[in-house]
Amino acid sequence: MSSRMDSIWSKLDRKSTAIAEFTMRQYRTRISTWVVMGASVLAIFLMLLFYIEAMNSEIEAIDNDGDSFDTDGDGYPDGQERLEGTNPNSEESFPSWVEPDPPEKWINEDDIEWENLASGENYVGQDDDGDCLNQDTSSQRDSNDNNIDCDIIVTVDTINGTIDVESDNNVDEDPDEDKYGKEAGHRAFILGIGKFGIVFLLGIFLPLFLATGLIREEMTEGTIHYMLAKPIARGEVLLYRMLGYLGITWPFIIGLCFILSIITGFTGPGDGIFRWADIGVWMAIAWAAMMVSLVYGTIFCGFGIIWKNGVILAIIFAAWELGMVFVTILGGGDSSIRYFSVVGWGMIIVDAGTAMCWPDNWQLIEMGLWGGGNVVEENWLGATEYAALPGAQPLQTFSGNSGLGVSEWIAFVISTMVLLFQGIIAWFIGQAIFKGKEVD
Amino acid sequence: MMPDMTQHGKAETQQWQPVANTPVVMFDRVSKTYGRINALSGVSIGISGGVTGILGMNGAGKSTLFKLMMGKIKPSSGAIRLFGTDPWKNPAPYSRVGFVPEHEKMYDWMTALDFITTFARLHGMTRDEATKEATRVLSFVSLDEVMHKRIGQFSKGMRQRVKIAHALVNDPELIVLDEPLQGCDPLARTTIMNVIKQLGAMGRTVLVSSHILHEIERITEQIVILHRGRVLALGNSHAIREMLDQHPHKILLDCSNPRILAKSIIDLDEVTGISFVNPEKLLIETRHLGAIHQKLPQIIVDSGQTVTGIDNPDDDLQSILMYLTGGVA
Repeated sequence: MSSRMDSIWSKLDRKSTAIAEFTMRQYRTRISTWVVMGASVLAIFLMLLFYIEAMNSEIEAIDNDGDSFDTDGDGYPDGQERLEGTNPNSEESFPSWVEPDPPEKWINEDDIEWENLASGENYVGQDDDGDCLNQDTSSQRDSNDNNIDCDIIVTVDTINGTIDVESDNNVDEDPDEDKYGKEAGHRAFILGIGKFGIVFLLGIFLPLFLATGLIREEMTEGTIHYMLAKPIARGEVLLYRMLGYLGITWPFIIGLCFILSIITGFTGPGDGIFRWADIGVWMAIAWAAMMVSLVYGTIFCGFGIIWKNGVILAIIFAAWELGMVFVTILGGGDSSIRYFSVVGWGMIIVDAGTAMCWPDNWQLIEMGLWGGGNVVEENWLGATEYAALPGAQPLQTFSGNSGLGVSEWIAFVISTMVLLFQGIIAWFIGQAIFKGKEVD
Repeated sequence: MMPDMTQHGKAETQQWQPVANTPVVMFDRVSKTYGRINALSGVSIGISGGVTGILGMNGAGKSTLFKLMMGKIKPSSGAIRLFGTDPWKNPAPYSRVGFVPEHEKMYDWMTALDFITTFARLHGMTRDEATKEATRVLSFVSLDEVMHKRIGQFSKGMRQRVKIAHALVNDPELIVLDEPLQGCDPLARTTIMNVIKQLGAMGRTVLVSSHILHEIERITEQIVILHRGRVLALGNSHAIREMLDQHPHKILLDCSNPRILAKSIIDLDEVTGISFVNPEKLLIETRHLGAIHQKLPQIIVDSGQTVTGIDNPDDDLQSILMYLTGGVA
C-alpha cells in the first residue's frame, strides 16, 4: 500500500511541478508581469518617500502648559519659577540662587508613558517639572482622589481595548510631540501602507492582472489543448496553475515586505539601531497579503473560466472589497459586515500581528489621544475633548482589532483558516465550472 | 468500419480495463449542435489501426469530431468511446493518446526540447524520463539538431513537427492530427507525411484531418469524408479516385509564355480543353488529373519554359462532394 501511495504521490508531484514550473516560466516571459510588479514597487516606494521625509523632519514642539514663557519678565521661565517656589507673576520674585534656564528646556518637560499597562487600574505618571507637587493643598495635588499625589490613574479595559485616563492636575501635561509623533507616525505608516497598500491594493491588483487570465488566456489562444489532451483532470490543471501563480506572487510579496521592513526598521525612531519588533508586523502584513492574493487569485481565475471578460466580474468584486476596506479601516473593530469579505479577514491578520508585536500599540494610541489632558473644548454632548498628539489619530485609524473577542493568536489562526477556506471553496467552484466547460 | 454497439467501457473509472476487440475510437450516432447549427449529426464510426484520413471542407465537422474525441466538448447526443471509455470529464484514456491541435499558437518562448519535456511530465514522467523521451521523438521528426532553439524561431513546418513530436512523447496507441499539413512548405509536408505513414506502419491508429484530397491520398487509402456534419463516404481512396476521374478538372499554370506550352499540352489525350486566362496563365481541363500531373513535369522541361506555379483552382474535394451529393454542395 505504501509503495502505491508513493507512486501516486510521485506521479502527482511530476504533474504538479511540471505545470507549476511551466506557469512560473510563462509569467517570467510576459512583459505584463514585470509591468504590474514594477508599477507596484514604484507606487509603494513613492509612499515610502513621504515616510522617510516625515521621519527626517522635526515635529514642532508645543508648550502645552505655557511654562516656557516668562510672564513677569524677570528672566526666569514660569516653569522654573514654579519649581523653585517663586511667583511667576511677580518681577520681584525670582529664584536668584539658580541660573535661569533657557526657555526651550520648559517646552516639552513632562513626558507621558505608554508602556504596556496591566488590565484594571494602573497608577502611573511622574510630575517631571514639579508644577503639580508645588501646589499648595493636598486636594489640588491629588485631584483624582486615589491618595497618591501627582499621579495618573489609567484604567485599562483589555476586553474592549479602551483606556480611561484620570490624571492629577499638571501631571504629564506637556509631552514631547516629536518623540510621540515619530513613534505614532512610524507605526501609522507601516499599518497604513501594509493594510491598504500591500494587503489590499497589491493583494487585489496582482491577482487581477496575473490570475484572471491564468486559464482564460490559454483558452483564447488555443494553447490549453496541450494541457487538456493529457491524462490530467482539469481541476488539477487549475490547482497547479494556481501554484505557479503563487510561486511568482508570494516571493514578490515577501521580498517587498522584507525590503520595506529593512528600510523602515533603520529609518524609524527608537533607541536601538534597528526596530526588531516591527519585523513581526511586517510578517503579519506579508502573510495577510499572501492569503488575500491566494483567495482573490482563485476567485479571479474562476471568473476568467466562466466568462471571457471575467476581468469585468473581477473589477466588480474588487469594488465590493474596496468598500470593505473602508468599512474595516474606518469602522475599527466594530463592523461585522467585513466578515463577508476577503480583505476584512486579511486586516484581522494584520491587527492580530500588531497586537502581538506591539502590545503597547493601543495604549500608545489612547495616551496620544489624551495627549497630556490639554482640553481643547467640550463637544456638544458636554464631554471633554483633548488635543491629541500628532500621529495619534492616523495610528488610531489604521489600527484595529479583530472584534472576534478572542486572543490575538486565535484571531490570527481563525482568520488564516477562514481565508484558506475561502480559497478552497473558490477552487472547488472554479474546477467544477472548468470541468463542465466546453473548450473550443 | 461499423461500430460494435455491444462494447461498453466504464465511463467514470480512472483505471479502465482494455476490452478485447473494442475499436480504439468509436462514435455511436453522435450529434453536436451549437445553438441551431448542427456541427455533427448522427455520426457513427469505429476506427482501429492504421492511418485514417478525415476529409472534409472547412466547417464539415472535422475539428468538432476531434474535440469530441478529446473530451473538450460534450456530445449533444450519442456516445463516444475512446478505448472503451467516455472521454468527457475523464482524462484517463489520454495516457494512450497523442493529440496535435489545429491552433497555430504555441509557447514561442520555449525551446522545442523544453516544450516537449514539460508536457511529457504531464504523463507522469520524471524530468529525466521526459528529457530522454523528448529527445527521442524530436529525432523521430528530424528536429534533433534544433531542439535547443526557441519555437518562436521555427518555420511553420518545423512548428508542426514539434507539435507532432509532442504528441508522440508518451508512445501513444492513438495519434490524432488536426490539419497537420496546413500552411507547410512542400519539404515539411513530405517529412510530416512520411512520419504519419511510419506511425501507421508501426501499427498505431492515426487520424489525420485535411481538406485537401491529394494530400490525404499520399498518406493513406483509408478515408472518411465528412460533409455538413455527416459521414458522406467511408472507404478506400482508389474508389474515390475513380469517382474523381469521372469528373472534369482544371489545372492552372503560371508561366511566362503559355502559348508555347499550350502547343505540347493540347496533344495529350487526357486534355479536354485549354484556355488562356491572361497572358501569363494557362488553364488546362482534364478528366484524368493524376495522369496529367504525371506527364506535366516532363512537358514543362521539354518546352524550356519557366513555370512559377501549378494550382488546382477547382478544388478536387469540392468536385467529389458535388458528385457525391448530386450537386448540392
